[in-house]
Amino acid sequence: MAKAVGIDLGTTNSVVAVMEGGQPTVIINSEGSRLTPSVVAFTKTGERLVGQIAKRQAVLNPENTIYSAKRFIGRRFSEVQSEIKNVPYKVVAGPNDAVRFEMMGKQYAPEEISAQVLRKLADDAAKYLGEKVTDAVITVPAYFNDAQRQATKDAGKIAGLNVLRIINEPTAASLAYGLDKKKNETIMVFDLGGGTFDVSILDVGDGVFEVRATSGDTHLGGDDFDKRLVDWLAEEFRRQQGIDLRKDRQALQRLTEAAEKAKIELSSALETTISLPFVTADATGPKHLEMKLTRAKFDQLTADLVERCVGPVKQALSDAKISERDIDEVILVGGSTRTPAVQSLVRRLTGGKEPNQSVNPDEVVAVGAAIQAGVLAGEVKNVVLLDVTPLSLGVETLGGVMTKLIERNTTIPVRKSEIFSTAEDNQAAVDIHVLQGERELARDNRTLGNFRLEGIRPAPRGAAQIEVTFDIDANGILTVTAKDKQSGKEQRITISGSTQLSKEEIDRMVADAQAHSVEDRKRREEVEARNNADSMAYQVERQIRELGDRVPLNEKARAEQLIADIRELVKNNSSDVARLRQLTSDLQQIASGLASAAYSQASSGAQGGRPGGTPPGGGDDVIDAEFKET
Amino acid sequence: MEATDENKNRTTGEAPAEIERLKEELRREHEMYLRALADFDNYRRRVERERLNTVRSGKREIVLPLLDVLDGFDLALAHMGDAPASVTEGLEALRRKLLGLLEAQGISPIVSLGETFNPELHDAVGTVESETFESGAVAEEVQRGYRWGDDVLRPTRVRVAR
Repeated sequence: MAKAVGIDLGTTNSVVAVMEGGQPTVIINSEGSRLTPSVVAFTKTGERLVGQIAKRQAVLNPENTIYSAKRFIGRRFSEVQSEIKNVPYKVVAGPNDAVRFEMMGKQYAPEEISAQVLRKLADDAAKYLGEKVTDAVITVPAYFNDAQRQATKDAGKIAGLNVLRIINEPTAASLAYGLDKKKNETIMVFDLGGGTFDVSILDVGDGVFEVRATSGDTHLGGDDFDKRLVDWLAEEFRRQQGIDLRKDRQALQRLTEAAEKAKIELSSALETTISLPFVTADATGPKHLEMKLTRAKFDQLTADLVERCVGPVKQALSDAKISERDIDEVILVGGSTRTPAVQSLVRRLTGGKEPNQSVNPDEVVAVGAAIQAGVLAGEVKNVVLLDVTPLSLGVETLGGVMTKLIERNTTIPVRKSEIFSTAEDNQAAVDIHVLQGERELARDNRTLGNFRLEGIRPAPRGAAQIEVTFDIDANGILTVTAKDKQSGKEQRITISGSTQLSKEEIDRMVADAQAHSVEDRKRREEVEARNNADSMAYQVERQIRELGDRVPLNEKARAEQLIADIRELVKNNSSDVARLRQLTSDLQQIASGLASAAYSQASSGAQGGRPGGTPPGGGDDVIDAEFKET
Repeated sequence: MEATDENKNRTTGEAPAEIERLKEELRREHEMYLRALADFDNYRRRVERERLNTVRSGKREIVLPLLDVLDGFDLALAHMGDAPASVTEGLEALRRKLLGLLEAQGISPIVSLGETFNPELHDAVGTVESETFESGAVAEEVQRGYRWGDDVLRPTRVRVAR
């Protein structure tokens, strides 16, 4: 069962994603990274390197290291003169004015280079998934013409992939946000990557996307922002120390890395410190770079770069013959859209609309491509959409608390069971109160149903074992069964509406629980403290009864006093948790004393008692929650 | 009763087609079931693998910035110049302490000087003239690289002999 992947074949970096169990997943490459540099190199020993490894040797082998192949793919040699000036490798004219890269006397088409990147991505995906990858959806910029699209498709073929479809990057981004389900909306996709800026206006209706306009700047991106920062830092340093760090290749490298890190930090913080100790040295000794940078300063340094986005956006709007008010959705793509100044510009240009940015902007295109691949491979259709229980389900236990058996957001079908016990001696029946909700106390949650299990064999409190099972089938139908393990008696109830709540209802119930979580927890603690105290009182009382005369009189008096105190507090529903716990622990100590006293007597021939100090319901797998008295 | 009989007759009439349809449906359902099983099996194995990786990547977040600090020591020691020997020794001791801490986690420096340039281990920042080293060998370590078990935690930044 081969998988179909989605590939964002970028100018600087590429990303591959796949649908798994109905969810898109970005694949981590063999170097452990989610981004793969779109770089291919041929070494002097005839080796072919792709990705990060190729990038690492670029300085040594610039004429045989191809990056930005996307700027050349499917284009004529006569069209790319300005691009050729920016690259250190040799670009020549091939047959019919085609672009060819010349390396070590051999010519390569841009398709062949891109194919290497695609092959690596597919191989890494196969390794990750543990199965073969044969089919792919590949994305291209919306402005790509037929020749560029065909060439990209050919690159896929050369890589041995069956290209299911070539889709536009902005379309993929829209798919990642599920906008294909919208009726007649206008979407703006704002894509500011490492080195290119694209803005697209799309119309969507009935699952069909139509590109109405595209614009952009082929040489504007995050790298420009980094460079601005490097220049400023170097200039400041030169003013203070009289040394130009840009002339020292090693210092420049450290500076570039520090600048990129500072830029990223300023996306969330208002101020950052750039610290490069021993960055350089002169006759007077080592020099350190230590500078504070505020977001305001960063914005000022890069204001003109941000402004350069305005023209293309306005152009796209005017080409699409719409105004900013006609835009229904805005999507941010590319790492540089994390910059706050860029985001506020986008808001300004779209009439204050809040952009979609919940999907990682570096990965959103690949994610959309994976979704498309899943649809085309029939996988999305075939996957049974597994539902989840929107709210927790459980039963009411002693003291009116809710004991959850199934937590909210558990994937169904699911089956869970737990053993409960009785709260009274010789309790003959238990009431099962089936609850739904997130609050700690039963009365704050929704009642789904009630039933009663009768005919429990007479037993001391805590001894009976009642197994309660919650079973939700694939259709969301809940069956709750209670079974007395001794007698085998069983009762059940079936509730069909447990998953059919409106979204508003669910949100309200969850928010409610969050709002009350502190007081709820406190109340639950109170109930549990009372339950534990009561249970301990019961146990010690029984122990004293069993031991009879063997209990020293002073111990007995002390225990009886503690039991009376506890009973009083429990009767009054006391909320004094500290006092309840203190009394419980005091009583427990007496219980242990009694047990060992009895034990030493028992070992000398007397009849043994039940060992004390056992927590209520402890010693076997009966859990510490009992049904309330019926 | 009559209605039931009628129903029965009708189904019998359409039996072959109905059986075919059901068979087809069964085949499809079964395939979906197998797919889900396979997905789950692969998923489980990967989760196991990723669980180990997660522990690592969590450590990585702490370890990588620590390497920066270690670099600082390397740089500082290279600049000691006329500083009193005792200061240098103290700094050396601090550096060893930090390195020891990393080594206890299975992190060790990559030995690069004189080795043939290998992009798996080395990140080239330039070339230099060298009389000591052959062309294509690492002539200078600009920033030390580190291994973590079998993985490269950070490649060594190097200058290569021309």
